[in-house]
Amino acid sequence: MPVLHRRLLLGVSAAAVLAAIAPAGAEPAKGEPIYLGVSGPLTGPNAQYGAQWKMGFDLALDEINGSGGIKGRPLAYVFEDTQSDPRQSVAVAQKFVADPKIVAELGDFASPASMAASPIYQKAKLVQFGFTNSHPDFTKGGDYMWSNSVSQADEQPLSAAYAVKRLGLKRIAVLHLNTDWGRTSKEIFNKAAKEYGAEVVATEGYLPDEKDFRSTLVRVRDAKPDGVMLISYYSDAALIARQIRQSGLKLPIVAASSVYSPKLIELGGDAVEGIFTASRYFPDDPRPQVRDFVARFKAKYGKEPDAFNAYAYDTMILMAQVMREFGADRKSIHDGLAKVKDVPSVIFGKTTFDIQTRRVTGAKNVELVVKDGRFTLWDGGTAVR
Amino acid sequence: MSGMLEIRGLTRRFGGLTAVAAVDLDVAEHEFVSIIGPNGAGKTTLFNLVTGLDEADAGTVSLAGRDISGMPPDRLAALGVARTFQHGRVFANLTVLDNILVGAHVRFRSVRPAWPGPLSLLEPVAELALALVRPGKVKAEEAQMREEALRILARFGERLLPRKDNPAYSLSYANRRRVEIGRALALGPRLLLLDEPTAGMNQTETAEMQSLIGDLKKTGLTILLIEHKLDMVMQLSDRVVVMDEGHVIANGTPAEVRNDPKVIEAYLGHRRADRAPVEEAAE
Amino acid sequence: MASWIDYTVNGIIIGNIYALLAVGLALIFGVSRLINFAHGSVYVVGAYAGFLAVTHMGTPLPVTLVIVVVVGALLGLLIERFGLRPLQGYAHIAPLLATIGISFVLDQLVQLFFSPDPRALPSSLLETRFQVGSGTIGALDLVIAGVGLISAGLLYWFLRFTRLGWAVRATAQDRDAAQQMGVDVDAVHRTVFAIASGLGAVSGLLVGMYYNYFDPAMSFQATLKGVVAQVVGGVGNVPGAIAGSLLLGLVESYGIALFGTSYRNLFAFILLVVVLVLRPNGLFASRRQTPPEPMTGTFIAPSRPINVPPKALLGAAVAAALVPLVFPHPYVMQTLINAWLYALLGLSLTLIAGTVGLVSLGHAALLAIGGYTSALLALTFGVPVGLAILSAGLFTALLGTMLVFPSFRLRGHYLSIATLAIGEIVSLVILNWESVTRGPIGVSGIPSLSLFGLELDTDRSIYWFTLAVMVVLAALQFRLLGSHLGRVLRAVRDDDVAARSYGIGLDRYKALAFSVGSFAAGVSGAITAHIYSYINHETFNAQLSILALTIVILGGMGNVTGAIVGSVLLVGLPEVFRVAAEYRVLIYGLVLLLLVRFRPQGIMGTV
Repeated sequence: MPVLHRRLLLGVSAAAVLAAIAPAGAEPAKGEPIYLGVSGPLTGPNAQYGAQWKMGFDLALDEINGSGGIKGRPLAYVFEDTQSDPRQSVAVAQKFVADPKIVAELGDFASPASMAASPIYQKAKLVQFGFTNSHPDFTKGGDYMWSNSVSQADEQPLSAAYAVKRLGLKRIAVLHLNTDWGRTSKEIFNKAAKEYGAEVVATEGYLPDEKDFRSTLVRVRDAKPDGVMLISYYSDAALIARQIRQSGLKLPIVAASSVYSPKLIELGGDAVEGIFTASRYFPDDPRPQVRDFVARFKAKYGKEPDAFNAYAYDTMILMAQVMREFGADRKSIHDGLAKVKDVPSVIFGKTTFDIQTRRVTGAKNVELVVKDGRFTLWDGGTAVR
Repeated sequence: MSGMLEIRGLTRRFGGLTAVAAVDLDVAEHEFVSIIGPNGAGKTTLFNLVTGLDEADAGTVSLAGRDISGMPPDRLAALGVARTFQHGRVFANLTVLDNILVGAHVRFRSVRPAWPGPLSLLEPVAELALALVRPGKVKAEEAQMREEALRILARFGERLLPRKDNPAYSLSYANRRRVEIGRALALGPRLLLLDEPTAGMNQTETAEMQSLIGDLKKTGLTILLIEHKLDMVMQLSDRVVVMDEGHVIANGTPAEVRNDPKVIEAYLGHRRADRAPVEEAAE
Repeated sequence: MASWIDYTVNGIIIGNIYALLAVGLALIFGVSRLINFAHGSVYVVGAYAGFLAVTHMGTPLPVTLVIVVVVGALLGLLIERFGLRPLQGYAHIAPLLATIGISFVLDQLVQLFFSPDPRALPSSLLETRFQVGSGTIGALDLVIAGVGLISAGLLYWFLRFTRLGWAVRATAQDRDAAQQMGVDVDAVHRTVFAIASGLGAVSGLLVGMYYNYFDPAMSFQATLKGVVAQVVGGVGNVPGAIAGSLLLGLVESYGIALFGTSYRNLFAFILLVVVLVLRPNGLFASRRQTPPEPMTGTFIAPSRPINVPPKALLGAAVAAALVPLVFPHPYVMQTLINAWLYALLGLSLTLIAGTVGLVSLGHAALLAIGGYTSALLALTFGVPVGLAILSAGLFTALLGTMLVFPSFRLRGHYLSIATLAIGEIVSLVILNWESVTRGPIGVSGIPSLSLFGLELDTDRSIYWFTLAVMVVLAALQFRLLGSHLGRVLRAVRDDDVAARSYGIGLDRYKALAFSVGSFAAGVSGAITAHIYSYINHETFNAQLSILALTIVILGGMGNVTGAIVGSVLLVGLPEVFRVAAEYRVLIYGLVLLLLVRFRPQGIMGTV
């Protein structure tokens, strides 16, 4: 076939495909809503993350309900505040489990809160989807515990590879949040870094509300590293980066993907210029889901989305897909998670679960660096596991 | 009469100020000794040193021949020393009856076994167990203590008995001071120290108190009294000790002390601060 | 070795920051004998006021500082006028709780208004830096030092050379005497609060700018560090507060140098406890001889407790037992299970703080000790759960009492602060002693409740078990209070000088009461661990300690029935309030304030 005809055919096919997947003004969902229960922090020290979740959920629901919902019925969620406190998450679990309208649960934010409630969900056979729970033991709570949160076991070796193999650091000082997430990540990172041939010359754990790192940085400096690895969230990473600059240490900084957020730049300003990090997704990623997501998010909220928004969004889309394909009741959702394949995902590209671990396979890593106040790609390459 | 209390060279300093200066004092058994003197003479400090609430810088105190210098107040209570306080210290939220019963604490033997050596560490456990279980002996002793407490309350006529289940904070000032004395009696003391028991009382109340203390004296109790009301002091005391600025300046019978020029001068010298005693002394 | 210069410089800088807070606290304590737990909230409000001024009005630094001082001073006046003045003459515990309630309310309002997200100023003011040793000092460091020095200087001048300052010092020394001399004590209070709060607000702004990090959660830490610095230096003593702050900063800095960052707060609190036990007046207090007859210690709000006849109590217990049969709703049962567990904590604290008068602010630590002990016994040593829970209770009684024992000699505020510090130390030790407690990873897979081999895995069985334990321990506590120990313990509370003089060994009975109370708390923590199957160092956090105290006040200090009623209300009401999720903590703080203001003896009355 002549080149022009082939292109035309491709173009038409593409248009047809796009028309099929785009929500082309199908009638909005109406009728009795299907409810997901969300257990998470609306008040308390982690309240900011609950707020991020809501933004992601609502954006996804605009899309889902705008294109017919779940077989005509709208999808909605009920958000119960637990402050990420295990005592409250357990009470909320009881509530959800007893309410027949709730067909699946999303959350909690922190692993201890989720894991405390797991026995209740497992016993009542209600899916507990801990989409931010990366604690290695979370999904071991039972076959109703699922997560699309990338386990640290998968993620940290990618960070180590970036730091050691690609950036060439040989003596790394690691600063990590002294929480279960931070500690587990640190163990895995250190192990992987050593395997790749680097030496971890310093390891400093700090509490989440720590603000002053000056003396810590003196310790770091005395260990004579050639680079710093931050296993942090965006707020503490910004603080540390600032103080590294102020102390005069001129070292490259690599940070875990958890710092990926416009807030890092907002809080860190000039200090975070040049930080290396990675992300599951990146706004300039050409993938259509990502472009779409970022554009819609900006249109709705006026700012760029971060990892927490993306996970929440992905999770809602995932649940909708599972329900559409396999049914919107508790058992079907459970069975459907095991069977569903290749759900479009901002984070993974396509989501499919590993039935043994009940987590997602195929984590991607986009390597980034902060340049001129924006996250940009580092040498344009991606590292796929 | 044998010696109940023997104080030798007792001294207490606060920074540059010497509150009690090498005081010597003897109190014989059954004796009624009053300590008087201008404000700031060191009387209450002396009481505190004797009862263990404060630690002396020098000197010794003996109780019936036994050295009690430096012993803490709870041990002294067990040895039979009871006191009342200058500003009145009752247990505000306890009932009147409970206040008295607490006074008898040291005598409540059946609930507080005394075990030797290292086993003494387990005494509180035993006390707890006995308090929860309350075997016959404990119940009997508690009942006995209760009866005794009621008898003590009866000494005060209709003042305290009808109010035995009222919390102490609801009592009038005078009644609270009476409760204090009742509590001291419940201890079954060998030596009773009263610190200004009539402070703040009017004439009627003072007379009542004086009569009560007189009755106590008649029972043969050894009493040490601090008072400003010289009438009462002169009428009750076997002996009067006068203190001024930490020193004992006179020690003798009421008659001797009344006419001692040093005493008169001490009071005159402090005239501006203490008008009342000078007026009484002049009678 | 050059590093030690850096550590020292860092220590002094951070000490400077603490000093700004500690001085404000010292001023307030000096005059009102009050540890102002709301100081951290004023700090946060100041920070955000400055943030708003810079971002929305673009004010230059000196103007911003003035605005913030004014805002802080006004807030201080408001707090004094509406939160504290009405409580004058109330039991001392009332203002303490009022300031805690106020801090809840203020923090929540800030969070609601500004969102919990941390903020930063668009461009850092004052970026210039100077080389010192091998590190640098920024212009802002110097500004903070400058503000600190200038405030100290101004304060000194004010206190020494102005009439009002003289009045402040007089009131601090002897309030009644000052009043009799014609000092307007109310005006003094107002002035002091205004100055201290203005200073607190400015420190909030400066610290926010220093780290370029504004977030509503900084309140609690700020108060805590300020309190530590102040106590170390000498409570109520302004120069001492500054010295104490610098010392604290240095201790923390050297602690990090020697042991690592995780241990920072541990050193701060150990320093506090050591100072309290050895030199409770602080390290820099002037040598004053304490008078031999200290003030009476009564702080309980006197009241007549509501007398509930035993038959009614029995009826209530039976009714509670029937709930799973009549209202088998799992949500209701879960809520009540929580209520019974909190009630155990309440029983514990009402005995210790209410009956004996040791107001413990770190009670959650006892829950943690019990929880971890039971979990580890069952998990690592295979001890049957029932036995593990019992052993955990006994161990908590022993360890808890040993930890608190050195602070028995302290009184009033000092004791409370010591317990707060000990509670934080326990939490930090649990966090760091990984080989035993698994650190922040926590203990998971804790075996569920079972008794004599019988698994208690239904809601009902767990409910009845917890209810039974609670009823038994409550009954024992009633029995205790009705025995001679009831009056002995209350005598210790009401007047420990008189108590000692009547043969009551204070250490002995405080230890006895603390052991009994700790047993109940340990059991509560242990049962919690087996119900939730996962615990970590945050499960039993500082907020629980304050919640426990509120339950006890709500019910009536020392009142057993009150403790149970209080916990049912405080566990049940938040469930009812779930409707207003964002406002829940705010309402909670307001309830606490109203309670303290209008009914400090609680619902059932103090015993």
